Amino acid sequence: MNRKTRPKVSWLALLFIGTASCGPSDDAATTAETTAADGHVPTVYAVNYPLAWMAGRVGGDAVEVRLPVPDGVDPAHWQPAPETILAYQDADRVLLNGAGYAGWIRFASLSPGKLVDTSRGLDDRLVPAGGTTHSHGPGGEHDHGDVASHTWLDPTFAIAQARAIANALIDLAPDRKTEMVERLNVLQAELTGLDGALAQAFSGLPAAGILYSHPVYQYLDARYGLAGRSVSWEPGQDPGEAGWQALAQRLRERPAAVMLWEGEPLAATADRLRGMGVEPVVFETGAARPAAGDYLTLMGHNRERVARLKLVDKGDAH
Amino acid sequence: MRDVLYLAWRYLAFNRWKTAILVAAITVIMFLPLALELVLERSSERLRARAAATPLLIGAPGSPLELALSSLYFSGEAPAGLVYSSVGEIHDTGLALAIPLQLGHRIGAQPVVGTAPDYFGFRGLPLADGRSLAITGEAVLGAAAATSLQAGPGDAVVTSPETVFDVTGTYPIKLRVVGVLAPSGSPDDEAVFVDVRTAWIISGIGHGHEDLADPGASGSVLKRDGQNVVGNAALVQYREITPDNLADFHFHGDTAGFPISAVIAVPVDEKSGVLLEGRYQGTDSGVRIVRPAGIMDELLATIFTVRQYVLAAVALVAAATIATIALVFLLSIRLRRAEILTMTRIGAAPGRVAAILGAEIMLVLLASSVLAALLTWLVTTWGDELFRWVLLSGYQ
Repeated sequence: MNRKTRPKVSWLALLFIGTASCGPSDDAATTAETTAADGHVPTVYAVNYPLAWMAGRVGGDAVEVRLPVPDGVDPAHWQPAPETILAYQDADRVLLNGAGYAGWIRFASLSPGKLVDTSRGLDDRLVPAGGTTHSHGPGGEHDHGDVASHTWLDPTFAIAQARAIANALIDLAPDRKTEMVERLNVLQAELTGLDGALAQAFSGLPAAGILYSHPVYQYLDARYGLAGRSVSWEPGQDPGEAGWQALAQRLRERPAAVMLWEGEPLAATADRLRGMGVEPVVFETGAARPAAGDYLTLMGHNRERVARLKLVDKGDAH
Repeated sequence: MRDVLYLAWRYLAFNRWKTAILVAAITVIMFLPLALELVLERSSERLRARAAATPLLIGAPGSPLELALSSLYFSGEAPAGLVYSSVGEIHDTGLALAIPLQLGHRIGAQPVVGTAPDYFGFRGLPLADGRSLAITGEAVLGAAAATSLQAGPGDAVVTSPETVFDVTGTYPIKLRVVGVLAPSGSPDDEAVFVDVRTAWIISGIGHGHEDLADPGASGSVLKRDGQNVVGNAALVQYREITPDNLADFHFHGDTAGFPISAVIAVPVDEKSGVLLEGRYQGTDSGVRIVRPAGIMDELLATIFTVRQYVLAAVALVAAATIATIALVFLLSIRLRRAEILTMTRIGAAPGRVAAILGAEIMLVLLASSVLAALLTWLVTTWGDELFRWVLLSGYQ
């Protein structure tokens, strides 16, 4: 104890402290490690649909998986109400995508012991998002550490995330380990199959190159070696004349035959793109819960749309 | 007998100042050792209870006492820091729940405690009003802190600057109060609880400002150099965290390397606690793990040694006081020789005179005993509030 603090730790002060302190302690050792064996089904909250889907596939009825993101809202940009964050606090585990996904997590008060970063240990596979840096004050130049966040679009990355989820769920319900491992194996096989199917689909793309309507396809791009480039266009909005001119300039510098979209673009946008020799293709990311089917069916439809491009004559694409 | 008591009473009432001084002196001599014993017993019980309810504390190498006092009672300087990754490391062992504590800031006289939601469950702190912490920039007040700051849910409180004279130091941050805890009779009553990230923003590690990449922020841009934007002196950092500017707050660097004051480790079971201690003891991890109960026992042993000296001193003073009182009575008898002679001449037997003098002494002792008992009862019943009121300014 240094001299500065010693006077404050006088025994008179201690008497007060002691007099004022009698807070009872809960059974603090009771953590979230409750299992189905206790009759309580552990609750797991996720920050996006792919994680919730994988947790549901692996956990089965051993866990209750919740995704409170409202329909039609992109989980990446969702800002939950305080009451929803309190619900996340009450969960036994919170599945995070990692890679900076769901910015609200940075400002939510959540118990560190309940957080499961499914991208943990996969730093070498994270793709930089290439954000702007800035400088102010004595801290010097810095960015906010942005990396691309739609990791599950690389099915092999999704497999690694599924393993992390499985480990967390087995922790919660160790008595259900065997069945969860079995389900994980099935899921891994399905994702491996999806990876092969996507690789085959993308291998048949026109050689001219690929564009992305939004910078969310980095992991898909990295996995299948697509070397695509992104613009920031919204499916439901016209990009504006400046946007079209910028695109025309880009195409002059480096031609592209395909543009992937998160959702169906406006008909006028699609027609104008085709007029420029770029075929718009919907490739949904699946971040939000699909209206029908699940992650695999959604990715299956994506694959079919990409595979259909093979029928397009490469010469006609320009 | 009634006449004896009446005469004794009349004498004491006539010499009221002398009687009052005697009663006060004897009361103090009776009350002091009793009160000291009571206060020490109660204080040690509560110090032990708080410490015993905190199985393990993890902090940077340094004084274990300082670590325990600051982490359990939010007293004194914040201990030398750990890094936030320690919390994850403890969780990864699977042996304990790890609750971070970031200390060192104040709002007025109230300590600001940066922590995680687990803290409230761990200490058994229910809310009396409002809700728990959900978003950075929010605060939950202990019951006494709410009274002291005159704030409740919906109000705002402002952190105190570290030093008035350091113009380059951290700025005060305005926090939104979202809840008030029910009184617990513990140091938690005095605290202002925030999320650990809010504590970092108070420390200046995180901050918020307009997005320099935004074309609308041109007035705050000194220059744009490729992908880097340099801010100028006009760039204003936000002093309040609101839902509207929340997205503009950020931390520079990896939060894993950010400072925390200590970690409360709650082992899954006794064996896990021992294993966790084993992991950190005798290693060069730069981390100290302590059992607060043991530290407080050592501290209280020291205090009880001091108590023996204090009680011995009180006993000496008591002996001196009793001797003085005896002298006062003897001198009083000598001074009252004429009065005693008068009583004898009007027919009072010597035994009767002695009874009157004895009754006077008994009445004084009785009054002192009643007063001492009353004071002891007050200390027993209202001790917490009394000591809080008497010692608060000195403690803070």
